[in-house]
Amino acid sequence: MSDFAGMEDLLQDFLVEAGDLLSGVDNKLVDLERNPHDLALLNEIFRGFHTIKGGAGFLNASELVTLCHLTENLFDKLRTNEMQVTPDMLDVILGATATVRSMFGDLERSLQPGPATPQLIEQLKQALAGQLKGNSAAPKQTAAQAAVSVPAVAGGETEPDWNAYYQAVTGVEPVTGNLPVVDTTAESDEPHLNETVAEQIIQAAVGRRTTDKPGYQGPAGGRREGERQRDNSIRVDTSRLDQVLNLSGEIGLTKNRLTALRSDILNGKNDTDTLHALDLAVSQLDLLVSDLQNAVMKTRMQPIGRLFQKYPRIARDLARSLGKDVEMVLEGEETEIDKTMIEDLSDPIIHLIRNAVDHGIELPGERMTMGKGEKSFVKLEARQEGDHIVIVVADDGRGMNPERLRAKALEKGLISDEEANTMDERQSFNLVFLPGFSTANVVSDVSGRGVGMDVVRTNIQKLNGSIDIRSVQGKGTEFIISLPLTLAILPVLLVCLEDQPFAVPLSMVREILPIDPKEVQELGGRATMVVRGEVLPIVTLAALLGWPQQRVPEYGVLMQSAEQSFVLAIDSFAGREDAVIKSLYDFRPKGVAGVTTLSNGQIVLILDMKELLGSMGEQRVATRAQLLLEGQIAAAA
Amino acid sequence: MSDPKMKFLVVDDFSTMRRIVRNLLKELGYTNVDEAEDGVVAMQKLSAGGIDFVVTDWNMPNMTGIELLRAIRANAQIAHLPVLMITAEAKKENIIEAAQAGASGYIVKPFTAATLAEKMAKIFEKMGKG
Repeated sequence: MSDFAGMEDLLQDFLVEAGDLLSGVDNKLVDLERNPHDLALLNEIFRGFHTIKGGAGFLNASELVTLCHLTENLFDKLRTNEMQVTPDMLDVILGATATVRSMFGDLERSLQPGPATPQLIEQLKQALAGQLKGNSAAPKQTAAQAAVSVPAVAGGETEPDWNAYYQAVTGVEPVTGNLPVVDTTAESDEPHLNETVAEQIIQAAVGRRTTDKPGYQGPAGGRREGERQRDNSIRVDTSRLDQVLNLSGEIGLTKNRLTALRSDILNGKNDTDTLHALDLAVSQLDLLVSDLQNAVMKTRMQPIGRLFQKYPRIARDLARSLGKDVEMVLEGEETEIDKTMIEDLSDPIIHLIRNAVDHGIELPGERMTMGKGEKSFVKLEARQEGDHIVIVVADDGRGMNPERLRAKALEKGLISDEEANTMDERQSFNLVFLPGFSTANVVSDVSGRGVGMDVVRTNIQKLNGSIDIRSVQGKGTEFIISLPLTLAILPVLLVCLEDQPFAVPLSMVREILPIDPKEVQELGGRATMVVRGEVLPIVTLAALLGWPQQRVPEYGVLMQSAEQSFVLAIDSFAGREDAVIKSLYDFRPKGVAGVTTLSNGQIVLILDMKELLGSMGEQRVATRAQLLLEGQIAAAA
Repeated sequence: MSDPKMKFLVVDDFSTMRRIVRNLLKELGYTNVDEAEDGVVAMQKLSAGGIDFVVTDWNMPNMTGIELLRAIRANAQIAHLPVLMITAEAKKENIIEAAQAGASGYIVKPFTAATLAEKMAKIFEKMGKG
């Protein structure tokens, strides 16, 4: 039963708006830690709590009101200089924002939130009275104990135990300071994040269930109705909607014009003027439709800043739990991106940040000996490059060692000796995306269990994007995510096998080359081709699709994905198109991403190259003789 | 005085709150409502004319409700407009500050349509006398 009968709409509005507000507050708290006397910050945080309190009052969420009221009062004293911000106080306040977020989680499930822990309320009151005790060992112990009880829950299939989370995250210092989070059994001296603690930090900052984390393979049914509703609403600038309205109006006018011209032509009027007018009207319609497509797409675009807001808090908490000093730098927050992508990017970016803080950044001592500043920076940047959005997560840490990566992959049996020897730096970096790869030497209990980076890449690829790594030892590592502007339209190359066209994503296509049988060589039982000094395997489209190969392929398409490059052998081309992807209703053959309709009305399958390659395994690569049909030709001759 | 066609300006930086107030006004039969997200925008809309009644939040960025109230009272053209202040505080000093600045009424969040109707009736009554 919903506690909010009749108020659902209002509740959804409140959650979207207050959620943004709370992320803003979290962010400002991280800033405040560095500039404790910034009056503008204090005022904004005060107003944030105040506004949430006001809205919560109308929803009768009295416990949320109480908590916000106390926190707001504290900020009132801070902003009027009656009190000064202390680190202890800030921890209590961060605990309060985490609880507020949990309460939003309850509201999202249409439940009235229960009270905050008495401990948190007590500490807020102490802070208000100017008597906040220093971080005594006792409350920390509680937090740590609570933390210990969480993994059983996180691993289970049922709903996480919210009470455990409450206790875990609302302790004095939920996950910060000198909590016993450092794994001393690790072979290296380097402390690494405890999974549970990291999970809690992310949970507290993002306010979601563990089941939503990357890599969670369980049923998606755990998502509640309210959450889905929330996912489905979007805030659009009215000027953008007006533009859509204008364009559809103009299309209506052009349609009228065309209707008139049609009756003229049907009545036998086909002089030059009429045909010219028809030509004009169709060109105009063409322009208007593409403008409309753009305008509709724009309504789905949201500034990525709304996503970025959550991260400084996560970075801060993770860094503190490791005894590192990390400042998060955000750039390009105004860059706009499709809303569905914003949601799907959230987890991969959390993972990359967590990775940067945990593995990339050195401990302050190590940084000092390296001649670096004690404080490190993790940069999160978004920008538009042509028809792509580029998101960069960069750290100024120790960088990646390609040799170590190769040795590790070899040791884990993920690659062969031969592969290891032929790998360049970039390919070595990309090893981290392999399932089961982890640079951490300890498998149990510490970060880097090998889940994560592979899921990050899979998620990015699901968005038709790619992820790349640049790293310089001693200087830092950059993860570069490149995404298409929209998921609705996919530029494709139409390739033909016999007379049947198929569409392949243009983003994977590097170049098109003729296949000269004389240049096809056999290497290790595989047909290969040398393209500008690089030896590339040839994969026939016929083999990928399981069709018998009827003739010697004439052309090769040089395809490149993050992990490999290869030449796709095909019979001919039918051109390129901007495909509007339609998914097949209720069934999805392996290797088919969807279908699209060509301008001539023909229906064409869009191929999912990655899936096709994956399903083929090793047999996909033909020998030279198979490729060139040598036996058959000889027999025919 | 209480004409159902009168035009309200609801000033609040939190759009959910503007919607709440708008809904409450609708319950009372007032459907002609414009919105502003802070005092600055409100002053622009007010000087454009046509507004009969202002309902404003206190705590807002750029220009607070109390600043807006003072600005309204200092502008001869709109000085006569009824201004109802909405705040989350029932602090005495706040109420006095609002009264001194010339607020027509003062209402504490959260409130119901009935409370709003009551406060507005009082304002109309006062205005009728004055």
